[in-house]
Amino acid sequence: MSPETFAYPFLFVAIFIESFILVTLLSKPAREARAQKPGGTTPSVAVIVPCWNEMATITTTCESLLALDYPKEKLEIILVDDGSTDATRTAMAHFAHHPQIRIIHKENGGKHTALNAGIAITQAELIGCLDADSLVEPDSLREIISCFADERVAAATAAMSVYRPKNILQHMQNAEYIFGSTLRHAFASVNGIYVTPGPFSFYRRSVIEKIGGFRYGHQTEDMEMALRIQQSGYRIENAPHARVYTKAPETLSKLIKQRTRWTSGFLRNILGEYRTLIGNHRHGALGMLMLPSALLSIGSSILLFSLLIVMFMRHAASVFDIRFGIPLSYAMIPHDSFDWFYFPMSVYLFLGAITLLASISLITIGKRISKTPGNLPFDIASYVLLYAFVAPLWLISATSDVARGKRRGWRY
Amino acid sequence: MSLAARNALIALGITIAIIGTVASTIRYLNQARVTELSAITEKISIEILSLDTQFSLLTAAPCDSVASSTTLANELADLGTRLVYAEGQLGSNNPQVLRLKEQYSLLEIRDYLITKQLATACGKKPPVTVLYFYSNAGDCPDCDKAGYALSYLRDTYPSLRVYSFDYNLDLGALKTLIAVTKIRNSLPAFVINGKQTYGFTSLTDLEKQFPKGSLATTTVKQ
Repeated sequence: MSPETFAYPFLFVAIFIESFILVTLLSKPAREARAQKPGGTTPSVAVIVPCWNEMATITTTCESLLALDYPKEKLEIILVDDGSTDATRTAMAHFAHHPQIRIIHKENGGKHTALNAGIAITQAELIGCLDADSLVEPDSLREIISCFADERVAAATAAMSVYRPKNILQHMQNAEYIFGSTLRHAFASVNGIYVTPGPFSFYRRSVIEKIGGFRYGHQTEDMEMALRIQQSGYRIENAPHARVYTKAPETLSKLIKQRTRWTSGFLRNILGEYRTLIGNHRHGALGMLMLPSALLSIGSSILLFSLLIVMFMRHAASVFDIRFGIPLSYAMIPHDSFDWFYFPMSVYLFLGAITLLASISLITIGKRISKTPGNLPFDIASYVLLYAFVAPLWLISATSDVARGKRRGWRY
Repeated sequence: MSLAARNALIALGITIAIIGTVASTIRYLNQARVTELSAITEKISIEILSLDTQFSLLTAAPCDSVASSTTLANELADLGTRLVYAEGQLGSNNPQVLRLKEQYSLLEIRDYLITKQLATACGKKPPVTVLYFYSNAGDCPDCDKAGYALSYLRDTYPSLRVYSFDYNLDLGALKTLIAVTKIRNSLPAFVINGKQTYGFTSLTDLEKQFPKGSLATTTVKQ
């Protein structure tokens, strides 16, 4: 059995999931969500910004919130300083007398405690969270509010992208974020969302009161809250036109640390307290499709990456062995002619290419739906070139941490 | 039926259709490869028959009329390269590949004999020829290295004639050639200008097996 035979089941599942997403995007609920215009209702809203050593970004984050197109008397902004050790307190002080802004200083206790501290001092009907390294478009709040017209909706997510990507790694992440926005938009149509990201997700206060505030959630309190909402039988919606920009790690080392935290948090939540959701038909697409495929994608990425490394090493060793002793001027130059006859054609390669093309299509669709600005071709090129090689690094790191019971700090 | 279940069924149908289409396309393209190989084989077969016929007709003055078969040798080498690639793609047990390999081996033997006859009839120094016997049955770990070294020599010295034969091919003419050249089943094996050599260690050692000056006097490909 050749190594590539192992890849076929995963390619089948990948094409199936991508087809499911494309079909769901074309289905009526998704079309209606895209066509929905912001309504005239303006419930009271509080946006909580948890901060821990965010002196560099808190000012711009706060200013973007103040620029939101929303009645000022209905919108309060709660800045929570979670025991910062830098000049975050000073940066917050500039907004101390602003009528819409309230500031809390507390001892460091983790992001979930900062969010709960903010929830405790507000009576707003809807509670939003915004990471202190993120910015919002002025119309994004009105877009999100319209998701709560349905009483069954407990939470709503926005369309995220990277704030001013500079290097190739950030462009790769931008494509990935837009891809994620497309997925959330499709998943929302079948109530399959299992994470309400830190940048500008909103919650109905009455639901939080029923199911409880934020928890530690293995350092992924946004995922834990989304899973708890789903487990309690509520819906999580998505506002595809609500644009929010977040700062992305600029180095591979920082990116791997961030994603290791996200992935290990997902694994610990889903294999721990929320394992009953997996394969549970009562939770529909979430239990039968989204969570199993998310778990499978982690396993398959690691397996395929390992296979790729093994096959590459074997091929490289064989190529070196065969060419050893032959003059480099000959051995280093390919001698195959450019003829269709030599085009490497296998079911494996074709299916891999189709999976990639479908991913590119979903990224392009996501950008069109959310009207996210930016250089999409460069984002996609960065994604195609890098993602398959760097994503397995944090998947392996996170899986290894979970298997060994190793826990890391927030910014280890 | 829920929206998710309906969409999942449609997605399953799409997935099966995509995989079916890809499998059919690959089968069609592989068949097109075999068809192209057959066409090349037929073309070379006609050219060799033509060369053979010309040689027989003009026994009195063959050297004046018979064209050089260098072009033919290049076409044979190209066919060999394509055949090796097709074998890798379709498998060495594919019946069509096996049939084409038999035809290819026959063409090689025929070209080898005609080249020798022409050289004798015209009183010219015969080109350096290498009969290379390999096996892809997993019992010849050095065959890939030997094959690559011979490709290098053939590309570097265009007048060098290299004829490759699968030792295990069930073909009467090949078995006769093996018997005539007295090659043992110890592969890789070479017959360089009639002299047998076994095994491959390095390009330098292989080059030492060639008659002195035979490689140096040939035209180096630019």
